[in-house]
Amino acid sequence: MDHPFLDNWATQLRKGMLELCILNAIRGTSLYGYDIVRKLRNIEGLVISEGTIYPILSRLKREGFVQTTIKESTEGPPRKYYELTAKGEQILSQMNGYWQDIKAGTDALGREEKS
Amino acid sequence: MINLSDSAKKCLDKYLQQVRNHLRGCKTVDADEVERNVIEHIEGEFESATAAVSFEELDTVLQRLGSPRQWIPEEEIPWWRKTIFRLRTGPEDWRLAYISFGLLILGFIILPSFIVLLPASFIVARAALSEAGNSSELKAQKWLIYPSLIVGCSVIAFILFFGGTVLGACLAEVLWDLTWVRRIAHMGTVVFAAGVTVSVTALSWFILGVVLCKWPGLVRNIFKPFANWFNRKHAIILICVGFALLVLTFAVVGYLRYVIFSHYLTAG
Repeated sequence: MDHPFLDNWATQLRKGMLELCILNAIRGTSLYGYDIVRKLRNIEGLVISEGTIYPILSRLKREGFVQTTIKESTEGPPRKYYELTAKGEQILSQMNGYWQDIKAGTDALGREEKS
Repeated sequence: MINLSDSAKKCLDKYLQQVRNHLRGCKTVDADEVERNVIEHIEGEFESATAAVSFEELDTVLQRLGSPRQWIPEEEIPWWRKTIFRLRTGPEDWRLAYISFGLLILGFIILPSFIVLLPASFIVARAALSEAGNSSELKAQKWLIYPSLIVGCSVIAFILFFGGTVLGACLAEVLWDLTWVRRIAHMGTVVFAAGVTVSVTALSWFILGVVLCKWPGLVRNIFKPFANWFNRKHAIILICVGFALLVLTFAVVGYLRYVIFSHYLTAG
C-alpha cells in the first residue's frame, strides 16, 4: 500500500474481516490458536499483525461465539482448541449473509459501470 | 518448552511484559489467555528447532506478531490507560516523570500541601513505572521518578514498621492516666510506657509478618521496584523478631515488676 488513504481504508476493512475470517476458519472444525493464524496467513493482505488474532479470539470467547477445549498433543504440551458455539454458528450465518449482500452489491455496482 | 538463547529469552520476556501492559484493564479480552496463546504461537513456530532459538529468529516471529499496542481497538482501551499513554507519549514521553518530580518538589516547597502532593507524586511515579513495564526501560527517567518512589516507599515503610510504636506510646499515655491500671501495673512510669510501647510494636510486627507471610506479593507490589527480592522467608523472619521481642519485653517487664519493684515495695 503506498497511499495513506488506502492504508487507512484497508486497516478499517481488515478489522471487521478478521473476525469473519476467524469464525469461518473454525466453522465445522476445531483449531488451536496457532493453526488459525497459519490458515489466515494464506489470505493475502488480511493479517498484517498476527498477534491481533489472539485478542479477537479471546473477545469472541467472552461473547460466547466460540468455546475452547484442551486436548492432548503428540507434539508438546496440551493445546487449547477453539470451536464455534451454537450462538457462534448463528451469528456467523448472519455475518456471512451480510458480507455476501455487500459483496454482491459492490460487484453489481462494478458491472453497472461497465455496461 | 522451546529452547531459547539468553538474548532471545530476554527479548521474549520483554515482549510478554508489553503484551500484559497493553492488555491490562481491557475488559473485553482475557490478558492471560492471550499471553498463553502468544507463547503457544512462538512454540508452534519453533516446534522443529533443533538448536537454541537465536534472538534474530525470535525477533522475526515477534515482528510478524506485531506490537501489542496495535492489538486492541482504541475504543476498548480503558480511559485511564489512554490518559497515561497520552501523558507519557506525544511530543516527548517524559511527561509522567516530569509531573511526578514536579509534584514532589512542589510538596517540599509548599510544605502543608506535602500530605496531598506526595501521594499524588507517588501514584504518578508508579504509573510511569507501570507503563514502562520494567524499571530498566525507564533509563534516565529514573532520576525523576525514583525520588518520589523512594520518599513514598520510605513513608509507607515507616508507617508499617513504626505505626505500632506510635500507637503503643499513645496507648501507654492513655492507660497510665487510669488509676486502676497504675495500681495493677505497680511499676515506674518509664518502665510501663516502654513496656507497652515495645509490646505493641512487637505485636504489630508479628501481625504484619503473618499478613505478609500469607500475601508476600503485597510488599513486592507496594515497594516496587525496590522489594522484588521479598518472599515468605522474610515475612517469617519478621514474625520471629516480633515474637521474640514480645517475649523479651514481657520477661524484662515481668522481672522488673515482680523482682525489683516488689523488692522496693517490701523494703519500703
